[in-house]
Amino acid sequence: MVLEIKKSDTQVTGILSGRLDTAASQQFSSDMEPLMDNADKHIVLDCSALEFISSSGLRLFLSLRKATIAKGGDVTITGVSADIKQVFTITGFYSLFKFA
Amino acid sequence: MKETIRLNNDINEVPQLAEWIEQVCDKFGLAPSVVFQLNLALEEAVVNVMNYAYPGQTGMPVTLSAEMHGNGMVFELEDQGIPFDPTSSEEPDVTLPIEDRPIGGLGIFLVRQIMSEVSYTRHDNTNVLTMTYHIEG
Repeated sequence: MVLEIKKSDTQVTGILSGRLDTAASQQFSSDMEPLMDNADKHIVLDCSALEFISSSGLRLFLSLRKATIAKGGDVTITGVSADIKQVFTITGFYSLFKFA
Repeated sequence: MKETIRLNNDINEVPQLAEWIEQVCDKFGLAPSVVFQLNLALEEAVVNVMNYAYPGQTGMPVTLSAEMHGNGMVFELEDQGIPFDPTSSEEPDVTLPIEDRPIGGLGIFLVRQIMSEVSYTRHDNTNVLTMTYHIEG
């Protein structure tokens, strides 16, 4: 699991690649700190190279979304596969995020 | 033929589980979307055992087996930890607005959503969670 973060004047983009399983979520939790620090901005999570997500990964997405609500930013998720989109749907997470 | 993997109750062994699932699914010729769902449900079930079955103990066994019965893949997850019946846990409300959403509680929910049948028994100090996935078509 790799998280690459890119910043511009208007938004912060996190590019995720690989498997966000329970083991990877421990590392991802600290890797995403720079995103949490920018919770007052537009955050884009580019998931086009994300192969897998489990509930531990969803929890981290939810933490980020909650932080943006508290600080006035937002989260847009892009490029999710049909399989991952279904995980968001089953868990009711689909309505909690913007998808593009 | 029954395939079995034995893991320790260590989250860092989850990638080994994923590899095993890929191999088993490959052997049975399952479609990629089915493999994805099984990966998710089985990881959630196994992680739950790893996290809660053996409080304060490391190096304890978590065993998962897979077998094809007719058009169903039958998985048996065993541990010798404290008695826990995941089939009796309360379902989270997935329709709550974000401010009321608790962080967590989704693992077992996903197992129950993805698997066609889930049942729990305890015998000889062993928790056995049997999960069946019906292959369509």
